[in-house]
Amino acid sequence: MERAVEANRFLSIADRVINWSRKYSLWPMFFGLSCCFVEEAAAFTSRYDLARFGAEVLRPSPRQADLLIVSGTVFKKIAPVVLRLYEQMAEPKWVISMGSCSNSGGMYDVYSVVQGVDQIIPVDVYVPGCPPRPEALLEGLVMLQEKVCTERPSRKIFHLGGGSQGTERPVLEVGATKSEDPRGPGYEGVPIRGTSLLPGRLQWGSRSDIMWTPSARRMEFSDADLSLAAEVEERFAGRARRELHSSDMLTFEVDRGSVKDVLRFLKNEAKTKYKRLDDLTAIDESARRNRIWSEGMAEATSDVGAVCSFSKKERGRYPDFTVVYQLLSFDAARRVRIKSGLDAEGGAPVSTASVTDIWPSANWYEREVFDLFGIGFTGHPSLRRILMPEWWEGHPLRKDYPGRATEMAPYTFEDARKRQPLDALVVTALDAKAPAGEKEFLLNIGPHHVSTHGLLRCIAALSGEKIKSLDLEIGYHHRGTEKIGERQSWHQYIPYTDRNDYLAGSSLEFSYVTAVETVADIGVPERAQAVRVLLAELYRLSNHLVWLGTFAHDVGAMGPNFYTFVERERILDIIELITGGRLHAEFLRIGGLAADLPDGWKKAVDDLTAIFPRRLLEYEKLLRRNPIFLARTKGIGKISLEDAMDWGVSGPNLRACGLAWDLRKKMPYSGYDHYEFEVPTATEGDCYARYLVRVEEMRQSVRIIEQVARNMPSGRYVTDDYRYAIPRRGEMLQDIETLIHHFINVTRGMKIPVGEAYGATEVPRGEHGYYVVSDGLGSAYRMRVRGPGFANIQTLPLMATGESIADLISIIGSMDVILPDIDR
Amino acid sequence: MRPVAVGAMSPFHAGVFSLVVFTVLAMLFIASQLFLAAWLGEKKKSPEKSRPYECGIIPTGSARFRYPVPFYLVAIFFLIFDVEGAFILTWAAVYREMGFAGYAQMSFFIVLLLAGLFYIWKQGGLDWKEP
Ligand code: SF4
Repeated sequence: MERAVEANRFLSIADRVINWSRKYSLWPMFFGLSCCFVEEAAAFTSRYDLARFGAEVLRPSPRQADLLIVSGTVFKKIAPVVLRLYEQMAEPKWVISMGSCSNSGGMYDVYSVVQGVDQIIPVDVYVPGCPPRPEALLEGLVMLQEKVCTERPSRKIFHLGGGSQGTERPVLEVGATKSEDPRGPGYEGVPIRGTSLLPGRLQWGSRSDIMWTPSARRMEFSDADLSLAAEVEERFAGRARRELHSSDMLTFEVDRGSVKDVLRFLKNEAKTKYKRLDDLTAIDESARRNRIWSEGMAEATSDVGAVCSFSKKERGRYPDFTVVYQLLSFDAARRVRIKSGLDAEGGAPVSTASVTDIWPSANWYEREVFDLFGIGFTGHPSLRRILMPEWWEGHPLRKDYPGRATEMAPYTFEDARKRQPLDALVVTALDAKAPAGEKEFLLNIGPHHVSTHGLLRCIAALSGEKIKSLDLEIGYHHRGTEKIGERQSWHQYIPYTDRNDYLAGSSLEFSYVTAVETVADIGVPERAQAVRVLLAELYRLSNHLVWLGTFAHDVGAMGPNFYTFVERERILDIIELITGGRLHAEFLRIGGLAADLPDGWKKAVDDLTAIFPRRLLEYEKLLRRNPIFLARTKGIGKISLEDAMDWGVSGPNLRACGLAWDLRKKMPYSGYDHYEFEVPTATEGDCYARYLVRVEEMRQSVRIIEQVARNMPSGRYVTDDYRYAIPRRGEMLQDIETLIHHFINVTRGMKIPVGEAYGATEVPRGEHGYYVVSDGLGSAYRMRVRGPGFANIQTLPLMATGESIADLISIIGSMDVILPDIDR
Repeated sequence: MRPVAVGAMSPFHAGVFSLVVFTVLAMLFIASQLFLAAWLGEKKKSPEKSRPYECGIIPTGSARFRYPVPFYLVAIFFLIFDVEGAFILTWAAVYREMGFAGYAQMSFFIVLLLAGLFYIWKQGGLDWKEP
């Protein structure tokens, strides 16, 4: 008896000592899934300094880590990797789930996302927020430390049986130990808001039908457009027709058999040559409402038909699918859209001809269309899934496919065991690259890797250190954002746009609202335009600062990282002052902004522009003449201008090849033509050139910010066209009509007339565009996101083959990739 | 650095005994560390845990085959010449005391090293040879 007490006293003292040591020496793993990781990383920088709490350095390998902070969205494709990393970590280990996505799926209740990481690994602490601020993560860490103090590790350590340490919670099971309902328990039987909205379900009697709007914008075609139209219609008489009205660009409808000829003609022979394939995508037309009507629904539902705001004649009959090609002419700064209808004939799979022999970049675009729509492309070199994992069934962007994860079978622990990513050898074989020879070694770099800047998987066939060939596997970050666009109301979709590139914030909202404003012809007051420019440029600075720090880090210079984050925090402070958000501002609104500029914005901005150029010089001193930096970037990862244009590269990566192509100059929007700035270029097309261009871009951004701040127009911050905008609160309280608009626009949302438009802006990474198609409802019929990354990263094998493996890291760093705009 | 005054330190006696004691103590210390780590450390064996870590993916093929690594050569040469630094720096610390004899010996040593370096250079050992 006495001895037992003795032992327990010894053990409890040992417990206390061990727990105290453990709680102040947690080793977090360098592991991020999406946006939340950016805030996690910020928590490690000087402003927040997580090291104060004894969780010092992020460990790149699970072997050296005992704390897993799951920060971001857990995708079904990445879940097996998350599980493996967790299992490979050292014992005992703990898990913090950071952010709504990881806690419960968050705002991504969508087919590709696991609704909570606790379904596959146990979790100790949940940190709420989207994203949680760095302070919230600090709080989470302190909570974990408190939890560590309640453990009784010594019995385990001395092999005495019993005791507790590390995460010992069970993995949760949907239906048994957890509810997947995003609203929490108790709502069973009440449909989730918006589930009835999916266009796949017949939307007869939609309240949108009783709302009147003017028809979609009709642009005036320029003479150049008309002459091109004449040229094409003459050459392809009867096979290509110009659409009479368009909101944004010249559009042709082309017969399925002639698409290739027309595209080749536009690229090589037309008077103005359309050199770039901007985008290639498809629309599933099967749920178009007047199409269904035309097939005999009118009689059946005549009462609904009577209130329909479109007429059958207006648009004619829709095919089953439309494949949409969008081309760009660099010389004329004009775009053109080619649409080609496809009908499923007698149950055979729908297919059309591949255009990979005209544009190499079509390779991925066509695979994407195949993956998400199930449309085949004859002549494609390796047509297979690209975003969804190989085991996936069905094609998510088809209208009859359920959009929500909660409508599908829940993702379980067993799935994470079974559904492994494809073996590297299989991928290389599928991509028809030469199989690894005797001396070649297949190495996976990513999806979990410090230097891939996200969930990107490179498969390198190595001979020694040299890369013989490189394959990319993407889709680990596919968040189904296009499908979500079909169910959220036009305004509700704005927060999703920020998350399509979580380092560029408002810049993406900017592209989206531009597209919607183009379809519905909504004017934006000057003040709102200027604030949009201000925010876009601030985000450009903050993005480029992160890029500069991480790029320098990738090539071995630790220093700049510590400094650039300081300035970035300053910029985020200004953004927070204006918008209330940090990463995701969610501040733009259709027709203007969410609020006016706050007091004190001018001083904050002026302070920044006063010091920034000097700071930039300091950072540059750390790098520009550093011999190691030069050796690792000059002449590395070259791409020629022809290749860059052919592959659809955009943004600084394109300008580093010598072409001064910048949407802000070439197709000015939102008043960019009033500001003085230059478009920096370089000629070499290597890593160093990309570095030069981005650094110079920061200087130009500061110039723009100065001018905007100096000449900020006065006036409204949101249009008074309240059919489409959310009314200002003060006005809403004044008269009944505005009150009604307010009520409708914030509840079921406004209606956008039948039409389509592409809106693109120059975001930090290149041209980011939204192609919105409306069927006259409260949400988009098709929401296409054209991310610059998708085109840019496709050139990585081109740049990296033949270089050494260390150069691959420097090339990825110089390209400034981010996964949500690649996988979307 | 000020030279140490004569008599300020105890005279130096070389002795095998203390070396033996030191060696034994060092061995004991290492052994105890290894034992403690092996005994106290938490071990959970699972197939996933014993799998090599390759960015979260199951590795392809075997890692045990003949594999050309040019960097390896460079790294080995670096190691060799780097270790010589230890001798040269210690000699520099007692440069005055060693007098001319030390200087001559060191010069001989460095010349020998240089000869080795030139030999490697000539043989192409410093060139980055692509496999
Ligand atoms: S959407 Fe992004 S910021 Fe929000 S919880 Fe998910 S990962 Fe975090």
